[in-house]
Amino acid sequence: MNSRIIYPNDEGGVSIIVPAPECGLTIEEIAAKDAPAGKPYKIVDVADIPTDRTFRNAWEYAE
Amino acid sequence: MSTVAVTNLKHESATGNNIILDSSGNAAFADGSASTPSITNDGDLNTGIFFPGADRIGFAEGGAQCGEFDASGNFQFNSGYGSVATAYGCRAWVNFNGTGVVAIRASGNVSSITDNGTGDYTVNFTTAMPDANYSSAGQSQGIVLFQGTSSTTAYRVNTYTFAGTLTDYGTVNIAIFR
Repeated sequence: MNSRIIYPNDEGGVSIIVPAPECGLTIEEIAAKDAPAGKPYKIVDVADIPTDRTFRNAWEYAE
Repeated sequence: MSTVAVTNLKHESATGNNIILDSSGNAAFADGSASTPSITNDGDLNTGIFFPGADRIGFAEGGAQCGEFDASGNFQFNSGYGSVATAYGCRAWVNFNGTGVVAIRASGNVSSITDNGTGDYTVNFTTAMPDANYSSAGQSQGIVLFQGTSSTTAYRVNTYTFAGTLTDYGTVNIAIFR
């Protein structure tokens, strides 16, 4: 899958859900199941996620 | 196509029925044993399926028991263990890259991983565990530690350098046993 699910986490940063390619679920089904209940989330393209993780813990969720 | 209608099948030398047929279309076989399985192969009569007791299904090869589903539904096999014993399954596993474009290489019963930050991941199960009392094994190029959050649906781990700093690694493996 070339999609990711992002949501703001409780530590003030952003969490990124990485789908398992062989799980048999759609990205929407994974979002509904694995994103915390009550949290806003967005489905984005993997290309939108920075690959330089030097300051990973400083990443923020943008509405 | 012709049909032979019978109730039971019995070899002329057998003391009891070999196969009992009922009106529902079921066929019931004698218990058999590991040395003489009741469901076997013509030409290899000491290999097959037998019924060692109530609610049990046994498997034999070469006249010796090699496996069984016991009365509790546990699957038991030898496979080099030395005896037929219950096998405890890996209920979920994942191999993922925690660097760059974080991605899962391969997995089983894992719907996703959540990248929570540097060296901080949650493994999300496709099918939930029966409880949170499972055991895990983890490996990476550094140290993998239980982060302290586990549930029937997810398990969170951290990866550290040997100096104790949260760090991403190119290969992280997690396996869950229950």
